[in-house]
Amino acid sequence: MENQTRFDLNAAVENWRQELAAQPNLTSDDRRELETHLRDAISELCRHGLNNEESFWLARRRVGQLEQLAEEFVKADPAAVWRERVFWMAAGALAALFLFTTTTPLIAIIGYCFPTAGKIVDELTLSLMLWVLQIFGITFLIARGNMNLQSPLLASFIKDRFRFAIMTISVLLIAKTFCATIMLWVYVASRNVHGFNRGPFAFIGNYVFASLVLELVPVAILIWLLPTQNRKTPKRA
Amino acid sequence: MLAKDLVAASSKPLVLSILADGESYGYEIIQKVRELSGGHIEWSDGMLYPVLHRLERDGLIDSEWKEANTGRERKYYFLSSDGRKALKTERQQWLAVHNTLSRLWKIKPVSI
Repeated sequence: MENQTRFDLNAAVENWRQELAAQPNLTSDDRRELETHLRDAISELCRHGLNNEESFWLARRRVGQLEQLAEEFVKADPAAVWRERVFWMAAGALAALFLFTTTTPLIAIIGYCFPTAGKIVDELTLSLMLWVLQIFGITFLIARGNMNLQSPLLASFIKDRFRFAIMTISVLLIAKTFCATIMLWVYVASRNVHGFNRGPFAFIGNYVFASLVLELVPVAILIWLLPTQNRKTPKRA
Repeated sequence: MLAKDLVAASSKPLVLSILADGESYGYEIIQKVRELSGGHIEWSDGMLYPVLHRLERDGLIDSEWKEANTGRERKYYFLSSDGRKALKTERQQWLAVHNTLSRLWKIKPVSI
C-alpha cells in the first residue's frame, strides 16, 4: 500500500526556504548561498546511502539554527541588508517616476480623443489618477506572484554594472523619445502650437532631457549599490 | 574536538590556505577542513559563511556565482592579492606559536 505520508524532499526544502526568507537579517544572496549548501549536503548524504528524509534532516541540522546564523551574518557585514533594501527602494522610486512620466503622453491622447474631458478634470488630476492606477496594478501583479522580481532574465540583467547602466539608460532614452514623439504627434494633430514653438527636434530633446534628470538620481543609486560580483574589481592572485 | 575560540581564530588561516590552492565554495571548504583535520575541527556548516563574508569585506577574498558541472550554481570564492599577503603573515604567526609549543613539548620545530 502506498504510504500516505511519503516524504517530499522538494516540499521540505521549500518549507526550509520560507523559514530562511523569514529572517530579516539575511540578504537574498545569503539565502541563495545557504540553499545551495543545503542541497549539496543533501545530495552528498544521499550518496552515502541515507534516504531523502534522513538526508534532509541531517543536512538541515548541520546548517544550524537559522536565527543564530542570521545574527552571525549581520555581524560579518552589518550594512549588507540595508544595501539591498535601499537598492529596491531606489528601484521602486525609479519605476514610480518612470510611470508618472508615461502618463503625460497618455493624457495628451485622451485630451485629443475627448476634447471635453479637459473641462471635467484638469490634466494633473488625471495623470495622478492614471499613475495611482498603474502603481496599484503593478503592486497587485507582484503580490499575486504574476510578476517575479527574481526571474533569471532580471538576474542576468543586473549581473554586470556596466551592462546594467547601458541597458537602463538606453531603455529610458528609447521610452522617453517614444513618449515625446507621441506628444508631438498629438500636438501637431490638434494644432496646439505653443507646445513646440522651437521645432520638433528641440521639443523632443527638451522633453527627454527634462524627464530624465529626475530619474538619473535613482539610476545612480542603483548602479552604485548593484549587488554584482564586480563591486570591487576582482584582483585575482 | 577543538575549543570554540580556537575554531574561530583558526578559521581565517584555514580558509585562506584552502583558497590558495584554487577557488572553492562553502560546502567544499568545510569538507576539506573536516577531512584534513581528521575530524578534529568540526565547523557548524552555516557558520563558515559569515567568516567568508568577513574576509570578502576585508578584501582578502573575492566571490563569483558560477555554474558547476552539475548545472547547480554555486558561489565560488578565490584569494585576492591582499589575501595572499595576509596568508603569509598568518603563516608566520601560527608557526611562531607552533614552534614555541614544540620546543616546550620537545617536538622538532619547523623552519618559518
